Amino acid sequence: MPPLTSPPRPVRDRSPLTRAADTPARFEPSGRARQGSLKGRTYWRSLDELADSPEFRAHLEREFPNLAPHLTPATRRTFLKLMGASLALAGATACRWPAELIVPYARRPPGRTPGVSVSYATAFELGGVGTGVLATSFDGRPIKIEGNELHPFSRGATDALAQASVLELYDPDRSTRVVQRVATDGRMIEMNRSWEEFAAWAGQHFGTLKSRAGAGLRVLSGATSSPTFADVRARFLKVFPQAKWFEYEPLSRDNERIGTAMAFGKPHRPQLRFDQAERVVCFDCDFLLTHPASVRYMRDFASRRARVDHDQTLNRLYVIESTYSLTGANADERYAVRSSDIPALLCHLAAELGRQGVTIPPAIASFEAPPGAAPPRYLAEMAVDLAAHQGRSIIAVGPRQSPDAHAVAALLNEALGNVGKTVHYTAEPDPQRPTHLDAIGALAVDLHDATPRTLIILGGNPAYDAPADLAFDALLARHTVVHLSLYRNETSQHCTWHLPAAHYLEAWGDCCAWDGTLSLVQPLIDPLYNGRAPIELLTLLAGDELTRGYELVRRTFKAQFTGGGDFEAAWRRGLHDGLVPDTAWPLQTPSTNADWAAIASRIKGTVSPPARASLGGGAPNADTYEIVFAQDHKLYDGRFANNGWLQELPDPITKLTWDNAALISTADAARLRVRQDDKIEITVGDRRLSLPVYVLPGHAPGSLTLPLGYGRPHAGIVAQGSGFDVYKLRTAARWHVATGAKVRRAGGTYRLSTTQDHHTIDSDVGREETKVRVPELLREGTLEEFKRDPKFAAKRAHALPLIQLFGDHEFRDKPKWAMTVDLNRCTGCSACVLACQAENNIPVVGKEEVLRGREMHWMRIDRYFSGDPRQADDVHISQQPMLCQQCENAPCEQVCPVGATLHDQEGLNVMVYNRCIGTRYCSNNCPWKVRRFNWFYNHYGPKHPRSKATGTPPYPGTLPQTEITPIEMMVHNPNVTVRTRGVMEKCTYCIQRIEAAKIKARNDGRPVRDGEIVTACQQVCPAEALLFGDLNDAGSRIARLYPNERSYFMLETLNARPRTRYLARIRNPLHDAGGTQEQGHAPQHVGGGAEPGRTG
Amino acid sequence: MFEFPRWTNRIRNWVGLGLGLGLLYVTVVLTFGFSPQATDVGYMPVQPLPYSHALHAGKLGLDCRYCHTSVETAANANVPPTQTCINCHTNILPESAKLVKVRESAATGSPVPWVRIHDLPDYVYFNHSAHVRRGVGCATCHGRIDKMEVVYQEKPLSMSWCLECHRAPEKFIRPKEEVTNMAWEPVEPQEVLGARLVQQYNLKPSTDCSTCHR
Repeated sequence: MPPLTSPPRPVRDRSPLTRAADTPARFEPSGRARQGSLKGRTYWRSLDELADSPEFRAHLEREFPNLAPHLTPATRRTFLKLMGASLALAGATACRWPAELIVPYARRPPGRTPGVSVSYATAFELGGVGTGVLATSFDGRPIKIEGNELHPFSRGATDALAQASVLELYDPDRSTRVVQRVATDGRMIEMNRSWEEFAAWAGQHFGTLKSRAGAGLRVLSGATSSPTFADVRARFLKVFPQAKWFEYEPLSRDNERIGTAMAFGKPHRPQLRFDQAERVVCFDCDFLLTHPASVRYMRDFASRRARVDHDQTLNRLYVIESTYSLTGANADERYAVRSSDIPALLCHLAAELGRQGVTIPPAIASFEAPPGAAPPRYLAEMAVDLAAHQGRSIIAVGPRQSPDAHAVAALLNEALGNVGKTVHYTAEPDPQRPTHLDAIGALAVDLHDATPRTLIILGGNPAYDAPADLAFDALLARHTVVHLSLYRNETSQHCTWHLPAAHYLEAWGDCCAWDGTLSLVQPLIDPLYNGRAPIELLTLLAGDELTRGYELVRRTFKAQFTGGGDFEAAWRRGLHDGLVPDTAWPLQTPSTNADWAAIASRIKGTVSPPARASLGGGAPNADTYEIVFAQDHKLYDGRFANNGWLQELPDPITKLTWDNAALISTADAARLRVRQDDKIEITVGDRRLSLPVYVLPGHAPGSLTLPLGYGRPHAGIVAQGSGFDVYKLRTAARWHVATGAKVRRAGGTYRLSTTQDHHTIDSDVGREETKVRVPELLREGTLEEFKRDPKFAAKRAHALPLIQLFGDHEFRDKPKWAMTVDLNRCTGCSACVLACQAENNIPVVGKEEVLRGREMHWMRIDRYFSGDPRQADDVHISQQPMLCQQCENAPCEQVCPVGATLHDQEGLNVMVYNRCIGTRYCSNNCPWKVRRFNWFYNHYGPKHPRSKATGTPPYPGTLPQTEITPIEMMVHNPNVTVRTRGVMEKCTYCIQRIEAAKIKARNDGRPVRDGEIVTACQQVCPAEALLFGDLNDAGSRIARLYPNERSYFMLETLNARPRTRYLARIRNPLHDAGGTQEQGHAPQHVGGGAEPGRTG
Repeated sequence: MFEFPRWTNRIRNWVGLGLGLGLLYVTVVLTFGFSPQATDVGYMPVQPLPYSHALHAGKLGLDCRYCHTSVETAANANVPPTQTCINCHTNILPESAKLVKVRESAATGSPVPWVRIHDLPDYVYFNHSAHVRRGVGCATCHGRIDKMEVVYQEKPLSMSWCLECHRAPEKFIRPKEEVTNMAWEPVEPQEVLGARLVQQYNLKPSTDCSTCHR
């Protein structure tokens, strides 16, 4: 046992990866399972587990690792002091709790009942693409975001970012006041101003500009699809005709615009139909998570995936990418290559398709690998597969790939006959717009000019996220800059005026979905912090006759309303439904017409010597690497950096919280002799950055992925000290991918908090047992295996006779609640984790506490790797959502000394917070490790992320927050108890929703209908992987799904009788041997699958 | 090593007795002094307005639901908005000095802050509609509001008190149409009536923790 205070870092050479170069590793992959069954693959959560490192053992062996050093050392004196104080205070507080006021309306709005929540349709826009949502308002405060079932790109689901947006609304760090920076005695001083003072200044300043027709006026805005914004912008430019407008987004899909413009003559937006595609090939394209239409795409993809139950067919997803994306994790065949090699691979694929008889222009069809580099063999097999599925396939290319790659993809989709079937196009809005990169470059050049300009920045943060070589923050100094923003961020520090912006839940607006469907954005609350919407600011500056958002949106809506009929009715319907029907852009089927020879020669030019080596499968050049700048799965481009829910959400792939890291392949880690937490120094051109590495099995060798959005100095208190700013390396010339980077070990370490080894269910008797155990927990098989034996999943574990000592529990005339988790649908996107957090008032604990394994999420997504970590193509990721299994024979209940956790008559394992005395026996005895303990007053107190006094360094104004502030309280769901220190908590199947539905049904004199109760995780799931219902209702969906052939219970041998049932995952590999080589083998019986010693 | 001086032998018994009695005293004070019976029953805070339930609900005979409109549909019965008061008081006693705050509130739109009397802990979720629509009378939990000049808490609202009814609803249940009748008395023995109503209304009150604690 290592000393508790500071577990020693493991001996470096224990890792099989760092030893790989010199000696054969201890790790022996269990046969090349790739070409065949998934049975017999070895699963592992992290490289630490694989190497059996002391850190991993600490997490495994102790339910509460590193407990001792973080509780106050109790001497007799401190004990008596504390007890004395508690006793003295006890008398003073015990009489009666503080008086509570009932504050009724003076005039109650019609239809409003205090204490009853109402949902309003609105829309959440990110990066110029809107998604319809329903915002639940409780007594006038929005507390939860749900998907809008009517909206084509929500279908009732949302992603994690939309879930977290409600926390952003109440963020106390949001900008609260108008600030003017004034030069006094050569120093800049910040003065607090009011909107009226700003309006007075603006009236004068913009009046002068107006007289000069707006000469010298510049506006920088983010991407938005709002018709009202476009209208206001047009009017603004009419008033200031010489003003120049620039649009910039640090995460841009412009390459797709240019690529399709190259192919079709005009920029087009692909509208993909994943529910109809039999073969999908993704080149660096993460359509399941980081795509603007990912919610809809995930629904479509999962629905195709689910057809395996009906007709035993499955689509096949090929993913070719550098970093491990969520789409890669769900792939049937995944190949890790450097991002910069992908355009050449596309051309090779085209050439192979040409050989299969697909019509490809000769310039592309004759594409040849440069000398010394043969195209990988899998492309030929892929081409055969694609040629056999013409008109039923999709070639998708990600936003970081070059325009040429997008053009070739458009060509391939056309050649395969997919256009009009699985691939549709709509015309891109605003086709004349310069690219975001060009726009910000042009603006920088313009600001370099000596003449002072007036610059209005609407919402963006260019001082942080503009290309680093522009040195944008320095450019702002000489000009009059007006900055409207949600936060006083990095850019605000350089602006003359900073104005607080209104959150989307506070302001009127509108936006268009990925396919153009118009949604109205309606506010649910008055601006909390005095903010205003960008459209309101622009009309104020332009002297428009209307300045209120409501009037502006209505004016635009009226102008678009040409169909005749009742305008008011259409307006109200649009507000009620959250979308305006028939506003999607018309689908088009353009045909390609491009200079393919030029494209092919440009792509050939990108094949640099090191890439050539990797193309040919040889060792990548040891000297230079490519750097991929990636959209962060949680913080997007950095704008959500101060959102505690997102910061603490484990990344779906790396399970990192609170930080980013350089994601690096195992081969490169071995070469650089680094392991997780070691710092490396990256040199790109003359720019340097050192940051810790996270060794990601399955990452392409020769490539490093840097997630954007961290290391923000002025994001707010929560974001302080979180991660590393990789924008510092991102220049205009190397905006998506930087090649030729030099990497070396920098020395020193940085502790990354990853949750991958937390709450491990698998055994503590070492890797041999884990080998047996994990395939029993997470069952997956291939399509052939499924066809041969649809019930293969049930046979993955020993079926022991399960005898009850006492009679079975009966739930006769009561509902029998249960849940199914379909692993075949689940992609692991983690939206459910955040939905659960928002619904159930789950606190954020901060990085230090996460490091101790004390994150509070009731749901977690267990992510397992499998395969040989040294071969990037062989590493699979499998994911499994874990939540309370609601056992009928719950092990936790048997050990609770105070009866704080027990069964109700419907079979739910309920947790009574007010009885809990915090012995934590239940958590110790839970085989699934789904119980969470409140070590502190997690909603406030010294460990709260807003209380940095205990961390380092102490920032001014961040003393421990000793009570929950009213503004933070507003986000809480009033139907769920806010737990205090010393209390255990866990998933309750959203008991508050069950009870509410039961009371409502009983009041109406009817039984609860199937589908009436939807848990928060089920509601948010874009893949519809979770299903909740009543097993005693024979007609319910869950009663029909429960006995599904693929279904199984986890750890059934414990006889805990869980109510949560899993459905095995089916993969469709190219070479599907269907598990023949191990057919008939029962899993080894090592130490008894039941492990009674661990549970009781 | 410390030794007690010899004289302490004399007071040994008294000290023992004192400790014993002290312990008993503390136990009795904690058990009964801090019980809901002692701390909550009779709680009668000063309200911002001298509103009389005895007059409105008793003498004038207003139905409870005239003001507490959501009692049958929502968790909260809800205190009425000022508008409800003004509906009558524009014609009745429009100049009364007692109604200054009501008129102010109606004119300015700022609410009247009432002090909550029946206040359950935050981890208890009580739903009015679930009780009122199953035949639990208003008076069963709130007492004879129609006789209270100033409303006070009559019942302890403790968990054991709730369970008395959840375990044996027949002792308390009344016909649904009599729920808001403050003066209702059973015409036949309550046990007989209650048992019949429990059957008729299909009442199966749950004593699961999850019923009230979420």
